[in-house]
Amino acid sequence: MPRRSPVQIWWLVPIVAALALPPLLNSYWLHVISVSWYYAILAASWALLAGYAGQFSFGHMAFAAIGGYASGLLAVDLRVPVPLGILCGFVAAGIVGAAIGWLCLRMRGPYLSLFTLAFALIFQLILIAEYQFTRGSLGLSVPGLFAGRSDTPYYYTGFILLLVSLSAMIFLLRSRVGIFLRALREDEDAAEACGIDTSLYKILVFAITSAVAGLAGGFYGHFVGILTPNLVTIPEMGLVVAMAVVGGVESLSGAVVGAVFVYVLSEVLRDTGQMRFVVLGLLIMLTQRYAQNGLWTLALGRGSRLSWRKPVTRAVEPEAAATAVERETNVG
Amino acid sequence: MFEYFLLQVLNGLVTGLIYALIAAGLTIIFSVLKIVNFGHGALYMVGGYAGYYAIQLLGVPPILAVLVAMAATFVIGVIFERVMLTPLYTDKVDRKDEYAIIVTFALFMVLENAAIVVFGPFNKRPPSFAEGAVHVGLLTITYDRLVAAGLAALLLIALSLFMQRTSIGQALDAVSQSRDAAAIIGIDAKRMFAIAFGLGAALAGGAGALIAPIFSLSPTMGDLPSVQAFVIVVLGGMGSVPGSIVGGILLGIVEGLGVGFYPDANRALAYSNAFGALLLIITLLVRPTGLFGRQHLRME
Repeated sequence: MPRRSPVQIWWLVPIVAALALPPLLNSYWLHVISVSWYYAILAASWALLAGYAGQFSFGHMAFAAIGGYASGLLAVDLRVPVPLGILCGFVAAGIVGAAIGWLCLRMRGPYLSLFTLAFALIFQLILIAEYQFTRGSLGLSVPGLFAGRSDTPYYYTGFILLLVSLSAMIFLLRSRVGIFLRALREDEDAAEACGIDTSLYKILVFAITSAVAGLAGGFYGHFVGILTPNLVTIPEMGLVVAMAVVGGVESLSGAVVGAVFVYVLSEVLRDTGQMRFVVLGLLIMLTQRYAQNGLWTLALGRGSRLSWRKPVTRAVEPEAAATAVERETNVG
Repeated sequence: MFEYFLLQVLNGLVTGLIYALIAAGLTIIFSVLKIVNFGHGALYMVGGYAGYYAIQLLGVPPILAVLVAMAATFVIGVIFERVMLTPLYTDKVDRKDEYAIIVTFALFMVLENAAIVVFGPFNKRPPSFAEGAVHVGLLTITYDRLVAAGLAALLLIALSLFMQRTSIGQALDAVSQSRDAAAIIGIDAKRMFAIAFGLGAALAGGAGALIAPIFSLSPTMGDLPSVQAFVIVVLGGMGSVPGSIVGGILLGIVEGLGVGFYPDANRALAYSNAFGALLLIITLLVRPTGLFGRQHLRME
């Protein structure tokens, strides 16, 4: 659509800004922003899974850990080159993601959340218990992606990974698949009745988002140099949920902005200890209560109309339902 | 060996009764509001601390502290419902399941982390209900466990009577069956939603106060029992209080035996917490939408 072109040019501004930022940051904030790229990839992929496809998974961090540990263990035990290891982690997380998607084909809404929550819990306990492989709670030391101690190469690598995965996901959403995924969210039965292979798309969206999470996990592990089972804890998941919800769970770029905002906020509040998670929890509640499409969407001036809109009619024709949603939400 | 087995069964029975109490609260919230309360475990934890501080600061006797804990969590539950859940009853929220998941999960985050800030990360142990233990042969059961099990059973009986014999209990039941039909015969559904959430929270809080002298208190104590409660609710049938009682006791016993008899002792300790989660996964694989299926689940 022609009206989209100015939006795309507008997006060059933050990209250029992010590329020009490192020389202006001290080493602490450079590290913080680099880590926030990791969370941004997670939040955006979770927004695709939960916001777009309506699969409210609480197991997303487990897939990041699968990517991280797969790559880390390959590098430590088999001396596999790090980039190849990250690629393997990406594939491994995708495969496990597809399997989990397949397992919860028949589950919906809160049941799927419960299932994935239990999966993440068990996965964390496995990481702790099988210490002869994973070094348990002590953490697995993994080699860095780059030689040297500077965070700058990691900053750019993380940012490029974010841009690539975000573009790939947005491209996917603008294709026919994106419409099917939204149909899945709006009414699985109606979508099925229209001949959409809901099973296929459910497994597909789990595989893709999990693989992206695994990619983020692999990058994170080789960036900070240590992997611990804490990667999979409920507070970490809460952080990612907060990021996506604050940014706007139906907008991938919103989730990215939310991730950077929330992570920087949580670093600013680091001295307050656990209090920052209280603040984040309250932020989630307030955002959900008063601006359901996120503060970012609100800031762009589209929120007020969206947040109190009437529910989209559960149309029998999912294409119609999906286009109705498309009219009101922004794919980016 | 047989006595060890018996001891595990008895211990399982005590924790099972506590689980049943938590699960009954979750069930009431689920059946009336049609939402899964992801903050339930945190309310259980808050109840434990409320009881602790009632004993330590106000000098309330330990058994009455359970009632104080229930009152405190009831108030928290009603406030949360009034402030955060009212949009669910209107058309202001599309995709109500997701809204409920997010805000109750946020409740969990807020309560658990606020507890770390306010109560400190270290374990606390309130005084016993009654010192000492009963010895039967080689078996030893502390009075704390007996009192906790007895009070839990008493609360569950009181709950069943409340649901069956009082007008509020019947009104809750009516709203859970059909919101519209209940409205036609003059039941104020909004009031019932607040009562249901408060009551569910109070049951979790009471369970927390009962378990406190047995296992000590910590801000993260609610993480696992909430998973257990989910298992029971999914297993025992949504909206069925007797179902959650039977399910709770069964789970407690199975867990006690599982941990007691797991071959590799080192791993058994690490995996003891995975038991409930594994059971939840298996239950959901067999019954992906619980016993009553999807119609029962959707917000109206």
